This record gives sequence, structure tokens and C-alpha cells, in this order.
Amino acid sequence: MTEIAATLIASETPQAASMSRGLYGWVATVDHKRIGILYLLTTLVFFIMGGVEALLMRIQLARPNNTFLSPDAFDQMFTMHGTTMIFLVVMPTLIGLANYLVPLMIGARDMAFPRLNALSFWLLPCGGLLLHFSLLAGGAPAVGWFSYAPLSESSYATTSGVDYWTLSLLVLGVGSVAASINLIATILTLRAPGLTIRRLPLFVWMMLINSFLIILALPALNAAIVMLFIDRHLGTHFFAPAHGGSAVLWQHFFWTFGHPEVYIMALPAFGIISEVVPVFARRPIFGYEFVAASTVAIALLSFGVWAHHMFAVGLGHPMDLFFAATSMMIAVPTGIKVFAWSATMWGGAIRLTTAMLFAVAFLIQFTIGGLSGITFAVVPIDWQVTGTYYLVAHFHYVLFGGTFFAVFAGIYYWFPKITGRMLSERLGKINFWTALIGFNTAFFVQHFLGLMGMARRVYTYPDLPGWGLLNLISTVGAFLLGASVLILLWNIFASLRHGEPAGDNPWNAWTLEWATTSPPPAQNFDRVPPIRSRRPLWDLAHPENPDPIVGGIAARDGFVLEKNRVGIVSFLITESVFFLMLILAYLFYNSHAMNGPTPTSMLNPQRTGIYTLCLLASSFTIWLAERKLRAGKSSAFRWLLALTILLGTIFIFGQGREYLRIFHEGVQVNSNLFATTFFTLTGFHGLHVCIGIIALLILMALAFAGDFKQGRIEAVKSIGLYWHFVDAVWLVVFSVIYLKLLL
Amino acid sequence: MNGVDLPVFHPCSPETASIAHLFLHVLIVCSFILLIVIGMVGYGLIVFRYRPGAADPPPHFGDRRLELIWTIGPILIILWFFALTVRGMRLSDPAANRLPDLVVIGHQWWWEVRYPQTGVVTANEIHIPVGRQWLVRLESADVIHDFWIPALARKIQMIPGVTNQVWLEADAPATYAGECAEYCGAQHSWMRFSVIAESPAAFDRWLREQEKPAAMPAADSIEDGLKIYQTLTCINCHSIRGVSVAANAAPDLTHLASRGILGGGVLANTETNLFRWLKNPQAFKPGCLMPNLKLTDPQLGALTSYFETLQ
Amino acid sequence: MTTEQFFISAWNWNLWVIAICVATILIYGARNHFRLSRNFGWLLAGIIIFFLTLASPIDALADGYLFSAHMLQHLLLLLIIPPLILLSLTPAPVPQNFQTGRWNWLNWILRHPVANWFLGVGGMWLWHAPMLCNAAVSNAWIHRLQYISLLAMGGAFWWPIISPWRTQRIAPLAGMIYLFSACLGCTVLGIVITFSPVEVCSIYLHPVDRLGILPLIQNQWGLTPAKDQQLGGLLMWVPACLIYFCGIFALFARWHGETGDKAVVTKSQLAKSHGH
Repeated sequence: MTEIAATLIASETPQAASMSRGLYGWVATVDHKRIGILYLLTTLVFFIMGGVEALLMRIQLARPNNTFLSPDAFDQMFTMHGTTMIFLVVMPTLIGLANYLVPLMIGARDMAFPRLNALSFWLLPCGGLLLHFSLLAGGAPAVGWFSYAPLSESSYATTSGVDYWTLSLLVLGVGSVAASINLIATILTLRAPGLTIRRLPLFVWMMLINSFLIILALPALNAAIVMLFIDRHLGTHFFAPAHGGSAVLWQHFFWTFGHPEVYIMALPAFGIISEVVPVFARRPIFGYEFVAASTVAIALLSFGVWAHHMFAVGLGHPMDLFFAATSMMIAVPTGIKVFAWSATMWGGAIRLTTAMLFAVAFLIQFTIGGLSGITFAVVPIDWQVTGTYYLVAHFHYVLFGGTFFAVFAGIYYWFPKITGRMLSERLGKINFWTALIGFNTAFFVQHFLGLMGMARRVYTYPDLPGWGLLNLISTVGAFLLGASVLILLWNIFASLRHGEPAGDNPWNAWTLEWATTSPPPAQNFDRVPPIRSRRPLWDLAHPENPDPIVGGIAARDGFVLEKNRVGIVSFLITESVFFLMLILAYLFYNSHAMNGPTPTSMLNPQRTGIYTLCLLASSFTIWLAERKLRAGKSSAFRWLLALTILLGTIFIFGQGREYLRIFHEGVQVNSNLFATTFFTLTGFHGLHVCIGIIALLILMALAFAGDFKQGRIEAVKSIGLYWHFVDAVWLVVFSVIYLKLLL
Repeated sequence: MNGVDLPVFHPCSPETASIAHLFLHVLIVCSFILLIVIGMVGYGLIVFRYRPGAADPPPHFGDRRLELIWTIGPILIILWFFALTVRGMRLSDPAANRLPDLVVIGHQWWWEVRYPQTGVVTANEIHIPVGRQWLVRLESADVIHDFWIPALARKIQMIPGVTNQVWLEADAPATYAGECAEYCGAQHSWMRFSVIAESPAAFDRWLREQEKPAAMPAADSIEDGLKIYQTLTCINCHSIRGVSVAANAAPDLTHLASRGILGGGVLANTETNLFRWLKNPQAFKPGCLMPNLKLTDPQLGALTSYFETLQ
Repeated sequence: MTTEQFFISAWNWNLWVIAICVATILIYGARNHFRLSRNFGWLLAGIIIFFLTLASPIDALADGYLFSAHMLQHLLLLLIIPPLILLSLTPAPVPQNFQTGRWNWLNWILRHPVANWFLGVGGMWLWHAPMLCNAAVSNAWIHRLQYISLLAMGGAFWWPIISPWRTQRIAPLAGMIYLFSACLGCTVLGIVITFSPVEVCSIYLHPVDRLGILPLIQNQWGLTPAKDQQLGGLLMWVPACLIYFCGIFALFARWHGETGDKAVVTKSQLAKSHGH
């Protein structure tokens, strides 16, 4: 097959030509490559901070009855270590890597929404600073990274640490969701011609699925922490059992987020390994379809396993068994992947570069962590080992021995592309061996500590036989691991200065990012090679033996998506989950009879029904407005827009009147759980309506200023969709609260 | 290592024995799987390593049959594990069918132990007769705790607003260590307790002793200690049956001297340790809810002497 | 009565059910010249499950004793039997007279996935409304209406995925979203039922012990009304979602196996292409 003329997909944009130099250029950048690097540098700083926190804890635990850290300091340390590593290191590192690589791997010029991309990044240092500001404001949170209620309520967690924790997670959550929406829109709409979804590199596929996981899981966390915040500051009792609240509901809500979260931290690592292993084994991935399908399986099942974190709660055997079943099931697709990666190596010509070494270590370590995870799925075993150091060993094996080793592999693999220089293989091997020995020394013994009865989150322990020695060994391993990170840093800095120049494709890899210079130019590609299979560069280098064409020569995906539409729909999906959680909370608390105000005593469905009709009418008017705009009737468009705003405002006015009437009768948000859930649910809905009205006002201002060209119709469609969504949510809220459906 | 004990694998009750058995079984299967993966990877690394000058091997994209094998295989294994789980749950956590024999209430950072049939109240130490299967009701007075005696019973949370139950039984007379296994605040580490299983006769003797109210002070020096208890705020938190049972915020002291540990396990219960604890509890268990009352040494001496009579 | 005795004795040899099963097999056989094919296998599976749903001890349990047994019936009628029947139909082009004329309205519904989705998910939710749930258990005619409507709505729901009229199937990717969103719908329902302290179907709180098996159920099996409702909710949720997941994976496989060269090459094919 002869080379067909490549497609010229991007031209130099004005921004590219004037990409600023110096600090300003970096701070003001919207280029995905720079943003990716900013992510990685920021997470590196937080990684060191989280690592130091870990080492301080290990010093305290090295001997029994140690007094290096006070109990309170230790408790703050483990809370900050967990929160930092999860939200400020692992998630943003993977997102940052995706930010850099995904547009390159799909032959695009940049992400779908470059400015949103910049915002997503800047929310990371903002959130990190917010979290760490707590140290100056009375103390860091000391409730553990999952902040179980009622320990996190204001009566027990008396400093404002938990508040900073809450606010920073909200900020970071917005950043993660925004980045995911961006990735979804980018992957679905900006692929180079010929790059159908079935031809996607597995890293990109995993990031696509992972982004859906993020937009679906994070709202559950947001709902939970919002409710906690309201409890702490408005005197409500969502999670205070002493006043009718439920501590167990916190666990349900949190783990509904928390379990998908661990897959959010694992899937991109799987993606990295799926890129690294084939290249260094010199073979395509074994069973691409199965690896892709198993990713979907993991994503789907990850929402159905959360209560395996709650086997010790006493939910009852039926519930425990169902979640045990799903938790065991989720092992199967993960196993498929591990076998696929192993089988990829067979028949290959494996080069044990540092990246490959880290990838191989990942395979074994992740398997160990996954297998210890299976032991947790067998409920009676969980009843012994949950809450102990066996659990700490398990999750460090999957998150550090797994995800972090994969990240190290990714760093060694893609550093040449990002910087144009190779990392030193000599230093890399030292890095690898110290990391391997350090990691396994630190964490393997912890399995035994758990079986010996050592609970987690203890600042010290009694001097029982063997406990001191194993803890000391673990501490030594941790320091060795810390040393290996220092070696990595040294390697990075030294190679930046004196590393061997890399060239376009130092590893002879096959995906699109290697088809451009190292580092890539501002516009990423001058020419994108023709894409017929999953390894375009292989096809180019081996015209006599190209990969089989995936999906036929003229393959198209069968759908064309528009990026704004994808963006707004993804956003609405995430908002739906948020409202769903609040509605479920409402249903949960109001299914018992309680003292104090009730829907019957407090509400007037008929009057609110009229306001509801106004809101529904506003949906109709904005739909009409869209049609008028498309038909070019701009005057009708403007007036219909105004009518929509008017109807929306009438609705808000009606809500306001309702609130005032209720306050007048002496009912407040903390009067009882009905009042609390009522105000929370309708309040957030009202907030969304107000935001919609503001957006519509901006649109109207632009419309009346005559600034409406054809291109703006996308904005109108998107805001229109948001407005319909807000109305649809109100229909559900109205039915549940006022019409008492489901109760 | 001498004396190293893995209580999870050293079960002393039928329930934990069934768990240990199950655990071993599952671990063996998992080790097998790990060996297969290590074997696959190791073999691949050795046999298929790059030899200088070799070209890229011909592409191989997959094998549907292999995929089926390593999908069906794990499914069969997990079906087997699931069956084991169903059986194991029934064996190690049978349904409750009567009133509880023991009630344990978790507090920040101590354990309130009540014997409902006799009205005995103690703290941080549980006595049970050997060989009898007792039903324990678990509650919490503040935050979530987790009741765990690795050698004797499964772990179960104590959640405010919720009542849980667990079976407790010991095969042989001994002292078993228990602890809180859910982070519950600053002194979660020192929320430990003991379970002392003894022969039914010994247990009955203990129970009868515990039922008695506190010994009245025989000498004046002892009486001073009682007065300090009554007047210097101790009585606001600690009960002593026979003197005052109004308070419930701190461990019952009626038979304090008969117990083995102090402060949730941070100190062994000796006269010297009691003195040091009373002098400044915060020095041993910083953050615990008993403040440093700044008593003088004579006061502490009197108080300690009084408490030592509370056998 | 022991468990074994119950499972042996509590079969309901309802004439209507038997007649429907036999008639279906006969009609199917007649139209396919009584050839034994894989499609016939699907039909047989569907008929057997249909029979089990309505005639086996499951029906006896669902008839006033166990809410969870009732949920199991719903699950089978809505999510398992209709797709099996649909899979047994041989693919054919849409008949001409279906697209015009009297059946046009039905064709419109079948062609619009959104309508089918609402029929499927809505049907599941509808029959859980306490009033309707109780009515179905107490009144025989409403009960029959429930069965028929569940089968019909199940058929409508699965139509866009496995319709024998291939042109009316939606694209695999859209199908995956269709099924995933339905899974969310049944998840919410399942969660609400599982965690609701209020009885969804209050008639099961006080079963009338016609068969004398109440002690068996409540003591030996440990299924108190509270546990029973929890189990019912879990059934609506986990197994239902797993069925949707199977559909999603079937679609995934269909999507990846679509027109064009296969991306998975077997060893022998590779050897052949290299001329060994």
C-alpha cells in the first residue's frame, strides 16, 4: 500500500505564532501541552508534600509508644496524606497526562475547550491552597480522608479543618469535572479523519470511559459534602443521629463516589500500561476489543460495588451478599486486562527499558493488590481484615504499586516527547530498583501487621511481639521509596539539561503522538499520517505488512457530534446525578413520620403548581426562541428570550414568596429533617434557575446589542438545553415534594 | 519470631475458626493465581527478551479462545468464592434470635460494658464463660466505633442511632485482646479492651463480686479519697454503685481495682500507674476527655488508696 | 412443610399457561417448517422461563407471600422472556403493510427508541406504585393485565436492540446509552425500594397463609417482611442491571464485529497470509 497524501488538519493560528515566552506565557496559557506540564509540576509539589506527611507518620510508627508526633498531629497527617494523594496528586496527574497526550494521540490541535482547560488547571492549586490554609486556621482536618459522620460534625470536629476540606474538595471537584467534560468533548468530536472510535489508542479509550466515571461519581461526593457543610453551619442534622439524622447515609453517599473514585485512579494507569507494554514488547496489544470491553465492564460495575466498604456496618446479609457478588464480578474484567498485558509480552522482543521495568512491576504489584482485594469481597474475611493494616497494604499496592508505578512508566515513556530529551537509563534503573525494593518492603509487611491485629489510623500501638519490628521495617522501606523519588527528580532535572536528544520517535512507537516533533510544535501536527488501523505509524513503516484495517476502508463512526452539544450534555449528566442524590436524601429522610412541619402542613401544591406552569411555559418559549433564531427572525427571538426570563423570574419570585411564608410561620432549615431536605433540594434547584436566568440575561443583552451571528446559535441551544433540564428537574422535585410521589 | 501472634489465623471461637478456614482457602487459590501471573510474566521476560539484531516480530492481535479461557476461568473461581461466602456468612454470623446477654456501648475512647440480666456495669473489660455462645448488643454514645476481638469474633460497627449485634464465644479460658477498629478521634489508638474467658464457675464468682456495690471505706485515710471523689468533680462523670450512679460520661468505677488495664489499654492497672494516671491523664492519653484536675500529691494518694479498695 | 416438599408440591398447572406455551411452540414450528435451529433454542428458553414464572413455586410465593418473588416475576416477564422471544424471530425486512395503513401507529412507536425506553422503564415503575401493586396481587384480572402489559412493554423496550426487523434497530453505541440509562432508571427504583422503610406493597405485610408455608418462609428461610422487601429491591436493582450489562456487552461485540475486516486475526489466518 503506497502512502496516500496526508491530511493537513491544522493551520497556524494567531495564538500559536505569538505563544508567549516567560512566566506570563505559562500563567496565561490555554495550550493543552503547557497546561499538561503545569498539572504535572503542581502535582509533583503535592506529591512531595504528601510523601513527607507519610514519612513523618512512618517515623512516629517506627517504634511502639513513640512520641514523635502528638495524636492530633498524627490524625491531621493521615487525613492530609490521604486527601492530598488522592485529590491533589493521583487524579490531577492522570488528568494532566491526559491533557498533554490525548489531543496528540487523536491528531487534534488542542482540547475542545482550551479556556475551560486552563480553568480546570488553576482550580488545582486553588483547591490545594484552600486545603492547606486550614493549617493556619486552627488545624488541618483530622477526620480521615473519608470523613465519617458524626465524627466530622461540628460537635466532634470542632476546628474549621473539615470546612476547608469540604470547600477545597468542591473546588477541586469542579476542576476534575470540567477537565472530564473537556476530554469527552475532545475525544468524541476532534479526532483526525480516519480515527474512528474503534481505532482509538487504548489510553484515549480509557480516558474517555474514565471521564464518564468522573462526571457520574463526583456529584455524589459533592452532594454529601454539601450536606455535611450545611450540617456544620446551619445546625441541620443530615448526619447527626442524635437528632434523627443518619450516619450510615453518609457512608452510602460517600462510597457511591468513593468506589468509582478508585477506578478513576486506576483506569488511566491501565491506559498507560496498554501503551507502554506493546511498544517495548514490540507487539500490538493482545485482544484490543476485550481490553476495551473490560474497561466498559469495570466502569459499569464500579457503581454497583460501593457497599463492600460497609460490610462491617451490619446492613444485613442480603445486602452484603449482593455487593459481594458484584465486587467479585468486577475482578473478572480486571483479570482479563492483566492476562492481556502478559500475553502481549509473549512472542515479542522485550526491551527492558526503565519504562518497561516499571510496567512489569505494575503487573505483578497490581495483581497482588487486586487479589488481596478479592479477599475483601469474601464477606467474612472482610469482617476480620477491614479497618486494619491489611487494608492499608491492599490499597497502597493498587494505588502506589499499581497506579503510581504506571505513572512512573508513563513518565519514562513520554518524557522524551514532552521535553525532547531522553531520561537517563542508568539513573532510571537505580530509580526503579530502589522504588521496587522500597515499596515492597514498606507495604508487604503491612499485610501481616493487619493479620496480627493492628488497626489503621492509630498513632501508636502497644509493644506486642513483632509489631515494633515489622513497623520499623515498613518505615525503612518507606524511606527507601522516598529516596527513589528523589532519584527520579534528579534524573528529570539532570536530563532536562544534559539528556540525549530524543528525536520524533525514540521508541519506534506507533501512535500519533510520535508522528510529530519532540516537543511538538504549537499546532501539534504539520501533517497527520493516514489512519486505517490502530497503529498508523506501523502501517507507515511497514507498507508491506500493515495492520488489518479496522472497520472497513471508508469507516466512519456513524454519528457526528458537535462539541458544544457534547459539552453541555455531559454537564447536564453530572448535574442530574447531583440532584438525584439530593432527591434520594429527601426520600430517605421523609419516609419516616416525624415531628414538626410536614409537606401537608407547610406546603401549598396548588399555588406552587401555578408557578410550575410558568416554568414549564418558559421551556416552551425558549424552544420557540431557538426556532425563530434559526429562521432568522431575530426580533421574535429577542422578545421570546425576554418572555422566558420573565417567566423564570416569576417562578423564582413564587419560590421566594413560599420561603418567606414558611419563615414567617417559624420554620427554619433546621426545624426538622423535612424542612432541611425541603430547603436543600428546592434551594439548589432555585440556585440553578437563577444561574440560568443570568445566562439568559447575558444572551438577551447580546441579542439586543445586535451581536448575534449565526455561530451564536450553539450558545443558545446549549443554554436552552440547560433551561429544559432545570425545568425537568423541577417536575421531578415538584412531584416528589408537593405531590408526595414515591412516599 | 517468638510470641508473634496472628489472631486472625489463631482463632479461638467457632465463628472465627470458620473465617480463618475460609481465609486460608481463598489465600491458597489467590496465591495460585498470582503464581500463574508471575509465571506468565516471568516466562515472557526471559524467553521473549530482545536479542540484538532481531527485527520486530510479526503482529499477533489476539486469540478468542484464550480470551474465553481467562474469562470463564475467573468466573468459575468467583462462583466458587461466592458459594463459600454464603456458607461462611451463615457460619460466622448466624441470625440473632433472643435478647442480648451483654450490651457494649462505645464511647470516645472507652467501652461501657453492661450485663442486662444482673445490672452489672463495668468498663474496658468483658468477662464471659467459656464455651457459651453469647449475644452482644452494640451501640454507640457518640461517633462510629468498631468492636473487634480478632481471635473471637467478626468486626462490627457501633453506630449512633443504630443497634447491631454480634455473637461472642471463646473455646478456651484466656485473656483476649480487643480494640476499636474504626477511627473515632484523637485517642482511637487507645480504645482497647480485654475479653477474659473463664470457666463457668469462675465467671459466676466474678459476676457475683461485680454485682455488689462498692466497698465502703474502712479507714479514715480511705474516706478522704471518697470525699475527694464526691467533691472534686469526679462524681460528675464517673459512677460508683453504692455512692452515686448519676453519671454515665466516663467508666464506672465500682470495681475499678479488679480490672487489668487503665485508660483503654494505655496503662496496666497497678497502684503506681493509677496514681500517675490520676496525676495527669493527658500525659498518657493526650486528648482524652478526662482533664488534668491538678490534684496535689496527698490528694492523689488518698484517691488512689480509695480506688484500690474498689475490688 | 419442608423446603423440598414445598418446591415439589407448589406447582400451578394452569391450563391457560400450558395452552399458551404449547400454542406458541406449534405456531413457531409451523412457520419455520419444524426445523431445529438456534433460534428455536431461544424460543424454547423463553417458553420454559415463561412456564417457570407462572406455574412454578415462584408463582405460589409471589401470590401474596413474598414481595421478592413478585419482583422476580416482574424481572423475568419484562427483561428476560421478551428478549428471548425476540431473539428467536428470524431477521426479515419490515413488512410493507406495517409501514402504512392501520398499524402505522404501532410502527411509529417501535421506530422511536425514546417511546420504547419509556414503555420499558415506565412499566417497571408503574407496577410498583403501591396502589397498583396491591391491586395486582388481590385482583385476578388486574394480575393478568399486569402479566400481559409487562410482556408487551418488555417487548417494546428490547425492540430497538434486538428487533428482527434490522432497520429498526438503533446503532450499537446509541443502544449502549439506551441500556445504560435504563439501568440507571431501575437502579433508582431498586435503591428506593431497598432502603424504604415504608412498605411498597403492603399486602405482603400480612400474608394469608393458604398453603401453610408461612413458618417455613419466615423462620427457616429467615425472610421477614422487612428482609423480603430489601431482597425485592435488591433484585430489581442488581440482577436487572446485570441483564442490561449483558445487553451492553452484546452490543459492544456487535459494534466491534461490524462491517469490514475483523481486527482479531487467528493464528491460522496469519500463517496463511504469510504463506507458511
